[in-house]
Amino acid sequence: MLKAEHITKTYNAGKKTALEDFSIHVPKGSIYGLLGPNGAGKTSFIRIINQITQADSGDVFINGQKLNPNHIKDIGYMPEERGLYKNMSVGDQIIYFGELKGMSKNEAQNEAKKWFEKLHIDQWWKKKLSELSKGMAQKIQFVVTVLHRPHLLILDEPFSGFDPVNANLIKDQIIELKNNGTTIILSTHRMESVEEMCDYVALIDNSKKIIDGRVFDVREKFKKNIFGITLSEVNEDQLLNFKNKYGIFNLSTENNLVSFELKNEADQNSIISDLVHVGKVRSFDEKIPSMNEVFINAVGNHS
Amino acid sequence: MNNIFLITKREFLTQVKKKSFIILTLLAPVMIIAFGAVIGLMFKANESHTIIEVVDNSGIFKDQLKSTDKINYVFVPIIEKKTKIKNLKGNESLDGILILPEMNSQNFDDLEKNTRLVINTKIGFDTKQRIISDISNVVKKEKIKQLGIAESQLNNLDKSFNLKTINVSDDNKEDSDLTFGVKTGLSMGLMYVTFMFIIIYGVRVMRSVLEEKNNRVVEIIISSVKPFELMMGKILGVTMVALTQFIIWISMSVIGALILNTGFSSIQKNIPGGDEDMMSKLDVAQIATQVSHSLLELNFPLIIFVFIVFFLLGYIFYSSIYAAIGSAVDNETETQQFTLFAILPLTLGMYGSFSVMNNPDGPLGVWLSIIPFTSPVAMIARIPYGVPAWQIALSIGLLLVTTIFMIFLAGKIYRVGILMYGNKATLKELWKWIRG
Repeated sequence: MLKAEHITKTYNAGKKTALEDFSIHVPKGSIYGLLGPNGAGKTSFIRIINQITQADSGDVFINGQKLNPNHIKDIGYMPEERGLYKNMSVGDQIIYFGELKGMSKNEAQNEAKKWFEKLHIDQWWKKKLSELSKGMAQKIQFVVTVLHRPHLLILDEPFSGFDPVNANLIKDQIIELKNNGTTIILSTHRMESVEEMCDYVALIDNSKKIIDGRVFDVREKFKKNIFGITLSEVNEDQLLNFKNKYGIFNLSTENNLVSFELKNEADQNSIISDLVHVGKVRSFDEKIPSMNEVFINAVGNHS
Repeated sequence: MNNIFLITKREFLTQVKKKSFIILTLLAPVMIIAFGAVIGLMFKANESHTIIEVVDNSGIFKDQLKSTDKINYVFVPIIEKKTKIKNLKGNESLDGILILPEMNSQNFDDLEKNTRLVINTKIGFDTKQRIISDISNVVKKEKIKQLGIAESQLNNLDKSFNLKTINVSDDNKEDSDLTFGVKTGLSMGLMYVTFMFIIIYGVRVMRSVLEEKNNRVVEIIISSVKPFELMMGKILGVTMVALTQFIIWISMSVIGALILNTGFSSIQKNIPGGDEDMMSKLDVAQIATQVSHSLLELNFPLIIFVFIVFFLLGYIFYSSIYAAIGSAVDNETETQQFTLFAILPLTLGMYGSFSVMNNPDGPLGVWLSIIPFTSPVAMIARIPYGVPAWQIALSIGLLLVTTIFMIFLAGKIYRVGILMYGNKATLKELWKWIRG
C-alpha cells in the first residue's frame, strides 16, 4: 500500500534533521505503528505523506504510484494537535471538511449520519463545537477523519484525550475499518497504548528507524529466554535442587504461592518436567518483552 | 479552484452569520446619524428665541422691521413706554425693549444717537448683531428712498457679473471654486473609505488566520487543500464580507436619503416664507444644481473603474500582508510590531494625499499614486481631478505586479508560519521562510 524509500528531511537550512534515510513498507489492510519518543520524526514523516511538507530527498509511493495531489482525497489524517472550528455547528463543520475532500454535500451528510449513529452522537448535529466537551470533540474529530472513506488512515496519537471507555469505542472502530480493508498508520510515543492493535511496527528514534517488521517478529527478536513460573504446594528440598540446576531469580512467596523467573535457552519442556517434582505448576510463561522494553533495548543496541 | 470557492464560502458565511457583524452592519449607519443628530441638537439647544418690544416714535419701522424665527419684534403703542420699562424688570417672557426716537428732518445720525435697546438680562452677541443689521437694513432702504432710486433700479445695480469660460483644451479645465470643492469632497470621501476598509478588513483576515492557527484546525485543512488556496479563499471570503457590508450601507443611505428628501420638500411647502426665506431657498437650490452639475461633469465611469480596481487590488495587497502576519505569530498581542509595516505605508499615502488636494498634478501626488504601497489611496484621491491615462495604466500595472508578488511572498510565509507554534517569528526567520 505505502512505501517510503530513503526519506530525508531537514529544517532550518539543514541544521536540524527530522528524518534520515527513512524507509518503511506498510502492507495493505494492516495496522502499522510508528513508535518513538516525541521529536523522533514521526510527525515529519506523516506530514510528508499528507503533502503538507516535502521531503528533501527520497520518494513515497502509494499503491506503486509516486505520491501526488490526487492521493490527498484517499488519505484521512487526524493530527496530534486536534482542531475544529469553535463557533461553527457540528453538522456544518463535517459537511465542510467532507466537501474539501471532494464529497458532495449529500454524500457527506449521509456518511456522517451513519457514523453519528455508530458512535451514539446523533443528537449533536446542530450543536456548536464550543458547547461540547473535549472528549465529545474528539469523536467529531474522528468522524471528520474517516468521513470520506479513505483507503489510508493516518492517526497521530489517536487516543490522547479520550477517556478509557471512548478510547475502546474508537479502538473497535479502527479495527473494524482495518477488517474492511483500510490501511491504518498509528503514530504514538505511548507504545503500550497501541501495541496489541498493530500488525507491524517501526521504531523511530532521533530521526532514524531503529527496527521494523511484524510485531511478533520484533518482540521475538528481543526476547531473552526468560520464563516466569508460579508454583503452589512447593517441596522446599526439590526447589533447592531445581535452583541449583537452573539458577533462578526474583523469587517471592505470597499466600503459599512461590513465583520466580529463570533464564534458559534449552528446551522448555525439560524445565516443565523438572518443575513437576517441585510443586504444582500454577503458571508457566515466556517473558516476551513489551514494545517499551524492545524500544529501550533497541535504542541501547543501536547507539 | 473548487477548494478556494469552498473556503471563501465558509469564511463568508461564518463571518456574516456572526451576531456582531449583523449588529454592526445595521447599527453603524443609525449610530452615525444619531451622533449627527445629537450634535445638531446640541447646537439647537443653545439657540434662543428673543422677544423684543419695539416702541417706534419715528413711524418708519412699523412695516419694515420684520420678525424672523430668531427675533420676534412686537410693536407696542408709544403711550405705554414708561410703564413698559418698569414692567420689564423681572419679566421672563420679554427680553428687551427697542426704543426708536422721533425722526426730525430725515436726520439719520440723530436716529442712531437716540436709539436705545433696554434689556432685561444679557442678550447674546449674536442677537445684538442681528438687531443691528435689521435696523440698518431698514435705514438703508429709507436712505435709498431719499435718494429717489426705485427698487428695481437698485436690484439692477446689485446684479452680479457672470463670466463664462471657454476651454480650448479639455484636460486643463479651470475649475470654479465650487467644482474644485466638490472634487475635493469626493476625493477625500473615496480615499477615507478605501483606507478604512483596507485596515478594518485586513485585520479581519489576520484574525481569521490566527483563529485557525490557535484552533489547530489549520493542519487538517492543509492536509486537504494547499496553504495557498486556504489563504486566497480567506482573503476572498473577507472581501465578500466587506462588499456585503458596503452594499448594505450604500442601500441604507440611499433609502434614508430618499425618505429624508421627501420629508424635506414637504416641510418646505408647509412653511409660508418671507422674501428672505425665498432668497436662501433659491441659494440652496442653486448650489444643489451646481453641485450636481459639477458631479455630472466628472468622468464617472472612469472614477468608478479606477476606484474598484485600486480598492480591490490595494485591499488584496494589504490583506496578504496581514495574512502573512497572522500566520507568523501566536496571538494578537504579538501582531502589533508587524502590523506597523502594513499601516505605515498606507498612512503615508493618506497624509501625502492631503497635499494632492492642493496640487493634484504636483510631483508628490504623482509619485504617491504610482508607487504600489501608497497608490491604492493616493490614486483614488487624485482621480476626481483627472489623471493622465498613462499614469493610471502605469500605476495599475505596477500595483498588479506587486500584488501578485506580495501574494506569492505571503504564501511562502503563510505556508511555514501556520505550522509553527510557540514562538514568534523574527524578521530574520521570515526572510528564511521566504527563501526556503
